[in-house]
Amino acid sequence: MLTRADLAKYPFLSEASEYVRELGLSIDELSTPEFGPVLDRAEKRLEEALSKGRVSGDITNENAEILSFPFALAEAKRAYELLRQENPEKLEHIASTTFAWKVKRLDIKLGRRFYDFGLSLPDFLHNAVHLREPRWNLPNRVLDHGFVYVTRDEAARLMEEEVRTKILERSSRTPDEVPKLFGSRVERTRGLVVKWLGVPTKYELPKVPQPEAMPPCVRHLIDSLDEGKNVQHMGRFTLASFLLNIGAGEEDVVKLFKPATDFSERMTRYQVEHIGGKDPRSLLQTR
Amino acid sequence: MRSVKQSETPSATTKQNHEPLPTRAQSVNPTEQLIRRKFQEYYLSLAKELFLPPHPEQREYGFLLFKEKFMVRHRAFRDPSILLGAIRDLVPAHVYFSTAYYQEPTAAMEAKGWKGADLVFDIDADHLDTPCKSSHDSWKCKGCGTVGRGGAPKLCPKCKNDRMEEQTWLCDQCLRQAKEETNKLLEILYSDLGVQPSDLRIFFSGHRGYHVHVYSTQLQVMGEEERREIASYVIGQELDPQLHELDEVNLEGIKVIEGPQLGQPGWRGRMAAGIYDILGEEGERLGLSPAQVKTIKTQDRDEFFKRPFWSSVKGFGLSTWKTLSLKAVDRRSAKIDTVVTTDVHRLIRLPGTLNGHTGLMTMQVSRERLDEFDPFRDSLAFHGEMRVRVKDSPRFQLAERQFGPYSNEEVELPSYAAMLLLCKRRAEPVS
Repeated sequence: MLTRADLAKYPFLSEASEYVRELGLSIDELSTPEFGPVLDRAEKRLEEALSKGRVSGDITNENAEILSFPFALAEAKRAYELLRQENPEKLEHIASTTFAWKVKRLDIKLGRRFYDFGLSLPDFLHNAVHLREPRWNLPNRVLDHGFVYVTRDEAARLMEEEVRTKILERSSRTPDEVPKLFGSRVERTRGLVVKWLGVPTKYELPKVPQPEAMPPCVRHLIDSLDEGKNVQHMGRFTLASFLLNIGAGEEDVVKLFKPATDFSERMTRYQVEHIGGKDPRSLLQTR
Repeated sequence: MRSVKQSETPSATTKQNHEPLPTRAQSVNPTEQLIRRKFQEYYLSLAKELFLPPHPEQREYGFLLFKEKFMVRHRAFRDPSILLGAIRDLVPAHVYFSTAYYQEPTAAMEAKGWKGADLVFDIDADHLDTPCKSSHDSWKCKGCGTVGRGGAPKLCPKCKNDRMEEQTWLCDQCLRQAKEETNKLLEILYSDLGVQPSDLRIFFSGHRGYHVHVYSTQLQVMGEEERREIASYVIGQELDPQLHELDEVNLEGIKVIEGPQLGQPGWRGRMAAGIYDILGEEGERLGLSPAQVKTIKTQDRDEFFKRPFWSSVKGFGLSTWKTLSLKAVDRRSAKIDTVVTTDVHRLIRLPGTLNGHTGLMTMQVSRERLDEFDPFRDSLAFHGEMRVRVKDSPRFQLAERQFGPYSNEEVELPSYAAMLLLCKRRAEPVS
């Protein structure tokens, strides 16, 4: 079903890993001159991903993770562009072998659309929950006896999600120690990261809550309490659980409620402790 | 304070130590004391084993005690007889088990090791908009004391407080509606989600609704986001008819409306069928001529849909069809409590146990018997007679007998009726 060209196109395939395994390469062999072009290609791919991927904002993580995200996105996009042009047989094969999807071939036209596949509900949801367009919401899908109808293009799009998660999962398994022989390449890669993403900086999260860093809804609740306005139960609950979660002390939280017109220290303390999980009843999740 | 309480948690329900408990009834109020005694009699008289869900040993069990409504949870049982023993010792007001399977069900929440959870649905009259509510439910604002009839509003109309005390009653009409919703849910689960009837159980909650549990290895590993999608599907939330190809298209210069067809899978066929019903029932109000309505009513539904009907109704444009489609979705959707379905750590009532809100049994109802199932006849747990002082009670029917209304009177009643009034705090024991 799959050719060697397919393995090159889709390096995430189970067959591709199997192929590489069968070559029996050790990591040391990879540093011999004949593998130079392979590693050059890897570097090039990385640079493509970095230069085309749009990543901005603060960088707080280690190199591997900084790299893996745009890389995974770019690789997944590339896979989608190639997959959407494949015939249904090949798509079905990749879906069921590499991603272990439960998928069946359909040949159904509903309205103006052709559905090539029925994808099992869990496999569809597993990937579609990451997609925000309304057409991916389950109520807007055709669901028939446990299978969601998808077009060929949609199947490729859902596979893009699988590729992305697969790469992210794999890159989180990167070894800490990189063989010395790769030293110069690793340095070059670091250079690429700095070039495209800037110098990775580390910072520590503050230990005490910073009012200026709080989300607007929480700030609004605090302001309302300060002004002596009535804040509803759900608002108070939100405020207390937010503050306790970011590490505020129970005393500080209780103090916040003091300006409320109906403030009762005993009641407030009870509620705050309750939310903080001191009371086992707070875990009651049923009616 | 609270942690001390936890150490007082009875050990009778732990796996390791199964000892009878000293009676805890002394400190509870007389009504609770009586209810608890009757519950104990019931549990001691139970001859058959309790219903247990698949993999009972991987579940967490919880008991809400009468005393100070204290919750004992994080318990596990390998054996139904040990579980029944614990219930007989503790005599809780409510008994729950987790829909989730855990590696260590007795561990703290974060250390339990979640393995999966059944897919569950809760249909409760609390979430249904039944017209009878104003006759049997009432609320009182905890802030200013304003009272009102029917289901409680989100905010008090007077002081805008959101804390309400609700007094609800269970009525035939509400429970019929809940059953109707359950039937709609089952239809969606079978034909859309492909749930196998052998993987599905239906339970009467013992109060105002029904629970549906799906035990499917394929579905149990789904997380909250996936379950939220399923809940949205069942209630048809934010369904966009245009994404189901209800649209105006240009056919060689003529604008025609096309849309879902009867017999298509999922929401499409359901929408089409729902629209046919709406047109037949409310066509004239929607602006159709009496003749048009007559045509719809007399014509076979399949025949009706064979025509290009989306364009055939004069005066109906795309927006009218959209509105009607959404109305059809609303009629055909099952009004579940989406929070329950989404939660992967939910504790849910154990079938075969008593519901402390009513004294009725939480019980399994087979699919075949669902239509004829009468919760007011089939879920009664108590025998004999009891004398109670009724504060106030609406008229109600149990075991095909009429009771009430009562107001400040002492009456001799069958125990099942007296227990309902006691559990609803509408009656007190006679001293």
